[in-house]
Amino acid sequence: MSVILKTQKLRVEYRSRDLRQGTKVALNGLDLEVRAGEVFGFLGPNGAGKTTTMNVLLGFVPPTSGEASLFGIDVRQPIARQRIGYLPEQTYYYKFLTAEELLRFYARIFGIARAEADRRIVSLLKLVDLEHAATRPIKSYSKGMQQRVGLAQSLINNPDLLILDEPTSGLDPLGRMKVREIIQRLKDEGKTVFFSSHELGEVETICDRVAIVHEGELKAVGTVAAVSSGHDNLEKAFLQIVGIPTRPAS
Amino acid sequence: MSKIFALAGVVIKELYRRKDFYVLFVLTALLTLAAGMVNFFHDDKIVRYVKDICLLLIWVSALVIAVVTTARQIPAEREARTIFPLLAKPVSRAQVIAGKFLGCWLATGVALVVFYFFFAAVTGSKEQIWPWGAYLEAVWMHWAMLAIVIAMVLLGSIYFAAPSSTSTITLIVVAGILLLGTHLKIIALQQPEPMQTILTIGYFAMPHLEWYDLRDFVVYDMGLVPLRAVGLATLYAAAWTGIFLLLAWLGFRRKNLTT
Amino acid sequence: MKLSPLSTLAVLLALALTLASGLLQTADQWSARAKSDNLFGMLFGDGRKLFANQFFTMADVYFHSGYYPSIFDQGAAEEKEIISASHGKKENEADEKNEDFLGRPKDWIDAFGRNFRITQHTHLENHNEREILPWLRLAADLDPQKIETYTVGAFFLREHLNRADQAEAFLREGLRNNPDSCEILFELGRIYHESYHDQNRARNVWQLGVKKFIARPGAEQKDTRLVFEELAVNLAHLETDAGNYAAAIDWFKAAQKVSPTAYALQIQIDVLQKKLAAGPPLSPPKLP
Repeated sequence: MSVILKTQKLRVEYRSRDLRQGTKVALNGLDLEVRAGEVFGFLGPNGAGKTTTMNVLLGFVPPTSGEASLFGIDVRQPIARQRIGYLPEQTYYYKFLTAEELLRFYARIFGIARAEADRRIVSLLKLVDLEHAATRPIKSYSKGMQQRVGLAQSLINNPDLLILDEPTSGLDPLGRMKVREIIQRLKDEGKTVFFSSHELGEVETICDRVAIVHEGELKAVGTVAAVSSGHDNLEKAFLQIVGIPTRPAS
Repeated sequence: MSKIFALAGVVIKELYRRKDFYVLFVLTALLTLAAGMVNFFHDDKIVRYVKDICLLLIWVSALVIAVVTTARQIPAEREARTIFPLLAKPVSRAQVIAGKFLGCWLATGVALVVFYFFFAAVTGSKEQIWPWGAYLEAVWMHWAMLAIVIAMVLLGSIYFAAPSSTSTITLIVVAGILLLGTHLKIIALQQPEPMQTILTIGYFAMPHLEWYDLRDFVVYDMGLVPLRAVGLATLYAAAWTGIFLLLAWLGFRRKNLTT
Repeated sequence: MKLSPLSTLAVLLALALTLASGLLQTADQWSARAKSDNLFGMLFGDGRKLFANQFFTMADVYFHSGYYPSIFDQGAAEEKEIISASHGKKENEADEKNEDFLGRPKDWIDAFGRNFRITQHTHLENHNEREILPWLRLAADLDPQKIETYTVGAFFLREHLNRADQAEAFLREGLRNNPDSCEILFELGRIYHESYHDQNRARNVWQLGVKKFIARPGAEQKDTRLVFEELAVNLAHLETDAGNYAAAIDWFKAAQKVSPTAYALQIQIDVLQKKLAAGPPLSPPKLP
């Protein structure tokens, strides 16, 4: 299987707000590969470097050293993002636009023809159950509705790689089920999903492979079974890997 | 280009869904109508002062719309974090800058056309003539000047986090150039060194926005400015706009947006 | 004891009214601005005079259709004048050059920028002088003590716009605000003389003007002697037209005392004295 997401010795440093510290290393030589067609879970405690990794992949933050590529294209090139969809953790969309206008705007960015864009917008709004609210401005939506708009916009270009940042955060059980269904459907279509999450139960259920980062370094990578071998479940393996002692199984 | 137009479309939608433009238009309209209704010495053919007041209000309103709209584009996107799903699409930061500029410039252009149509209606009702050529020239030159101003504000908004700072500084700079630009050389010659050299350098280095103010030609019915001069001034505006946009892109392209 | 919001409001209102009545007399002495009967006086205080001056200048700008030196051009022109004078050049040469304040372009920016400025020295005519009236009206409202506003406004209303009645009304308004103004009385006399051809009224008004002038303190008389000359000369011409040569000669002599062109007035006096010496003109004999 071809590698569609790759980082090589990826290092990101920030200037620290604490003057005594100088610079803060957010990522320290991260080597990561995600293959086509797999659902890949990206795990780590808060501050581990998950968001920084995503920010580099999406071009928000330039790497200090090392490389990152999507579909073999350096992430610094805008074209690298032509075949990806991104769902941020928080809903960051233009509040004065309607859902329909937002999707149409992003469709234009992707260069999708008008007729095709219309078709996709209709089907996506149906998928995320927002048909009734399509012509209302997003500022009038509830949080759940805004999350669903986010999901719709991440799929507008029928992406080959979906990058999800805590996709089920803030969702009710119905919403979480919806997200899981969509991820499964994409996997069945041969798409690749790369997501970060704190819901290890979910990760265990749907991921093919996982990676665990801690303090900017890759601590473990492999199938769920491989990573959690020797432990009762993925959660205990995670805690042990990041250095938090657990009670032995009785 | 379609990406740039798509970005511009969002900017225009935002402007017309906010109240700024409508408030300023209504204010301009009310003040102009009030000025036009006053009777001086029982002569209802007096019209130049109405033109003067109306054009002054149009200039102030258009400048406020242009500066305030543009100053908040990048900072608001960063603060609302809408910049992230945008840049996660296959769009470069240069295209974002270009799209924001185009949106603000087109939106201001539409506002200008509405303002000037109102101006033509009010003054035409008094003097019964419509020098469309002069009006077109005035609108075009005004719009060209606003291109420079919008590009300047975009550049400022990359470096100043608060839109209010960018707006205030730009309005002061623009007002200074409009009022003093023509006279800066004379002022410089009256100063001792090193101020004379500094002011002379400033005089040559700054964009001469005062060229684009054709209000006197409209108010005093002085006919048309030679088209060649208008063409060269347009090129000058394009050059300055390009310089400011390039500088804005250079500042924006390596900016860490997560801090 | 806890007061309800309404009771608190009532107490505060009562307190405010009590304080206001108590402070009324004291506050009366604080500022004259609030007692001004002029809206602009109340709004701007003495600063309104700055606006009045600016609006008066705007009238001049309008008269020249925008061709007008800025304060920076005026400063530079004054410097040139001083330099010219120090080189022995005559004042009128410098004046003429000052009219073309733009001069040669200083650089390519100045040269190109002149495409977008008014560079022709023109004056409003063909009744377009009406365009300066709003600024004169505003200047008069802002500073009713600025005499020039009334005299200039009346001049244009009478001479260029053929509205003697409005010129008279404007001057009378000026006179109400400035009852001792010889300048306004002079202009009023011109209206009666030139527009209404009412010589008696013109005489009365001009003579009143002369009385007002004489009543002025000496220093002020020295500064405004031109208006006395104008009054005296016009009275002299009035008397000449009426055949009262002796009175006319007296007025010319009075004008001579303040005029810089006394020799020209002397010529007129000589002519009148010859007429006086020749006696009244012979009337043709009545035929049976």
